[in-house]
Amino acid sequence: MNIEAHRSKAESIERSLSRCTVADYETVVEGCMLAGTHWFNIALHRTGLLPDDQDAMHAEFLTVAQRRKVGVALPAALAALDVIEWLRAPYVRGDLEGGEQAAERALASLAALRHAALQSLSPSSG
Amino acid sequence: MKIAAHLEKFRRLDATLARLDPGRDQELWIWTAMNAGVHLLNAALHASGTTVETDSFHTQVEGLYAVPERATGALRDAVHPPGDVMHVGQPRLATPLPDAIERAAVALRGIEDLRELFVRGSERADRSAQEAWRSAYRSCVRELAPALGIVANAR
Repeated sequence: MNIEAHRSKAESIERSLSRCTVADYETVVEGCMLAGTHWFNIALHRTGLLPDDQDAMHAEFLTVAQRRKVGVALPAALAALDVIEWLRAPYVRGDLEGGEQAAERALASLAALRHAALQSLSPSSG
Repeated sequence: MKIAAHLEKFRRLDATLARLDPGRDQELWIWTAMNAGVHLLNAALHASGTTVETDSFHTQVEGLYAVPERATGALRDAVHPPGDVMHVGQPRLATPLPDAIERAAVALRGIEDLRELFVRGSERADRSAQEAWRSAYRSCVRELAPALGIVANAR
């Protein structure tokens, strides 16, 4: 998927997220994962780590070699998506206490992913 | 996870789904319907004895579970027989599904199959497709609700 399409998808999902609150923490974590992955792919494509026709589905599923490279080129973005993906088992598929705090962490991580993607789109990084 | 916990997750996700629109909120509607359906499916699989009710959560990796230490909130990884499924057929189950669960699983798989084109991809659905998605969700819930003692709404 190209960068414009990823951005459109990320922004669309973020608009949907605005209809949720942290009380809807399962959906907030999942929405942050979905939107965040689109922002993540923008940064990957812009930095040349993945071509437009090859998207990352989950940070956890990158190869070891890919993770090493992304960890050097986009450390904040990788860490942010790792956080969101980690939250899924205990708070979406599971019932650990602290769901609303998990949603807040997911939203903060989504903001970090959006920032990394927009930074990669700025003329100075082109 | 435990049946009661799955049912509570379903109730919460179903309530969130009611505030989303499959056209305007296409991606999040599909994902929330899928998650609600998977929790209900897991409750039904446990209740029927097809899978085992355990205090563990399925992770993002098929067949890998996170086991909570309730006192501290810590998680440890575990591999054990299902347990919860992540999606329909993941992990594969050794025994055939009871008829109602099989019908629900077919409906749920229809929602899961929307992910590639409509969530990760750029396809947009028209109104008839959106109504078909709602119908699939209602069908999944309707098939599973009676055995779980819950009332299926008309959403």
